[in-house]
Amino acid sequence: MFGLIGHLTSLAHAKQVADKLGYAEYAESDLDFWCMAPPQVVDEIVVTSITGQKIYGQYVESCFLPEMLASGRVKAACRKVLNAMALAQRRGLDITALGGFSSIIFENFRLETLKRVRNVDLEIRRFTTGNTHTAYIICQQLQAAAQRYAMDLAAATVAVVGATGDIGSAVCQWLVNRTSVAKLLLIARERRRLEELQAKLKKGEICSLEEALPRADFIVWVASLSQGVTLDPQVLPDPCVIIDGGYPKNIASQLQRKGLYVIDGGMVEHSLDIEWTIMQFLNVANPARHLFACFAESMLLEFEGLHTNFSWGRNLITLEKLDLIGELSRKHGFRPLMPAA
Amino acid sequence: MAPANVSLPANASDTTLDYSSPAYRQAYSRINGIVIEGEQEAHDNYLRLAEMLPAAAEELRKLAKMELRHMKGFQACGKNLKVEPDREFARAFFAPLRDNFQKAAVAADLVTCLVIQSLIIECFAIAAYNIYIPVADEFARKITEGVVQDEYLHLNFGERWLGEHFAEVKTQIETANAQNLPLVWKMLQQVNEDIEAIYMDREAIVEDFLIAYGEALANIGFNTREVMRLSAQGLRAA
Repeated sequence: MFGLIGHLTSLAHAKQVADKLGYAEYAESDLDFWCMAPPQVVDEIVVTSITGQKIYGQYVESCFLPEMLASGRVKAACRKVLNAMALAQRRGLDITALGGFSSIIFENFRLETLKRVRNVDLEIRRFTTGNTHTAYIICQQLQAAAQRYAMDLAAATVAVVGATGDIGSAVCQWLVNRTSVAKLLLIARERRRLEELQAKLKKGEICSLEEALPRADFIVWVASLSQGVTLDPQVLPDPCVIIDGGYPKNIASQLQRKGLYVIDGGMVEHSLDIEWTIMQFLNVANPARHLFACFAESMLLEFEGLHTNFSWGRNLITLEKLDLIGELSRKHGFRPLMPAA
Repeated sequence: MAPANVSLPANASDTTLDYSSPAYRQAYSRINGIVIEGEQEAHDNYLRLAEMLPAAAEELRKLAKMELRHMKGFQACGKNLKVEPDREFARAFFAPLRDNFQKAAVAADLVTCLVIQSLIIECFAIAAYNIYIPVADEFARKITEGVVQDEYLHLNFGERWLGEHFAEVKTQIETANAQNLPLVWKMLQQVNEDIEAIYMDREAIVEDFLIAYGEALANIGFNTREVMRLSAQGLRAA
């Protein structure tokens, strides 16, 4: 049995979903209440592979909301993640993906030091960030976009914003080793880590966001969007492809211009309908088939009986792991999600 | 995972815990009093339940004995910090819940008695002890860790009995919940400042309570929607 730990994108969104699900107490309550709300298993999932294999899973709503971080309620945010993980483990879920902000919170606030949650000792092997599959899918989306918009990668400049993060560094490795990308621009906050990445890649130019934007034919956005950063579409080349790896996907609504193509990064499409109800609340076009690649990673691991923390820690994603998860993704019928032509 | 489209705040730094400040000791006197009184009441309640439920009398007397042992443990914690527990405050603190238990016992209302003692009080104890353990002094931490394991067993007794009779007692559980759970939120509110003064987090206690209580209700037979409604009853108003 696999698990997905998810959360909603804002308090308003959460209240709306709670109302639709008939949880009146949650629908009518403010952030203080959500800060105390316990995690819940809110959906049972059945996924069928194109091989015919069926797997079963559960969706754990952590009750985390991004407003908790925005208002500095770090303790509440951390509790949501740990309590959701403890619940997944108590339910006996063999492999659970930490969706949305969950794994960022786990890593950023060093929750690995707090592995005991009440009477549960968290077994980390039961959890995966799903980052390997997300990185793989972003790379596939980039290559598919190059084909669709007739852009030659061998002559293209790709900017990776958030290059030193777990997903960003994996994307960089793939681009350097598995594609013919002409130029790679590395953008992140910490200079030292950028230099380390550059040394490892033996390729790539470290530059600022402002310098990168006018030069980038492709932008892979996998960084946290710090407050105050706004993207001016006029400075971007024409054509330009942006792969928005953030959650929620909010670049497309901000940026609209001719010759600018925004792709929901790290999203996959399954070949067969998935039996679940929760995705209809997560703002995707086709809830029976569209999902986050990180969620799909726990499904792939469940299909294969790989009950292990396949993606964990920072910058540990290797090309071999990317190849393997890609192979499994295709085998079971997942495809990178591309916008309608 | 996908990267977060918000800025993460800086890590909160750990506070150094001072167990000897006047503020800590004053708050501890009330909280320690509540814990001791709570264990005493639990002991009395289990003895009463043993009379009401002769078939399980032996098991219930054992639970009562354990509660007395816990009480002694917590008395030792107070002595260790040279703090006198405020028993008078604690008796007043528990009065509304105690009155409801006693009224139910007189009316031979076993379901309400089990909801109050075996579900509400036990879950509240579990939550408070769980949140206390990481901020407790070393002596108290060891004692509390032992106690919390026992309390899970006690919770299990109520869950089992109510689960076995779920069909016939479901409505009664809901009524008992509506009458008594809001009292817990009010009780908690009375000690908000004391809780903070001994470095505990009120939000975390409530969340932990909701987890333990929600799990118990689910084990008894309530569905997710019912669990969410019952466990949050009266919380918003508190």
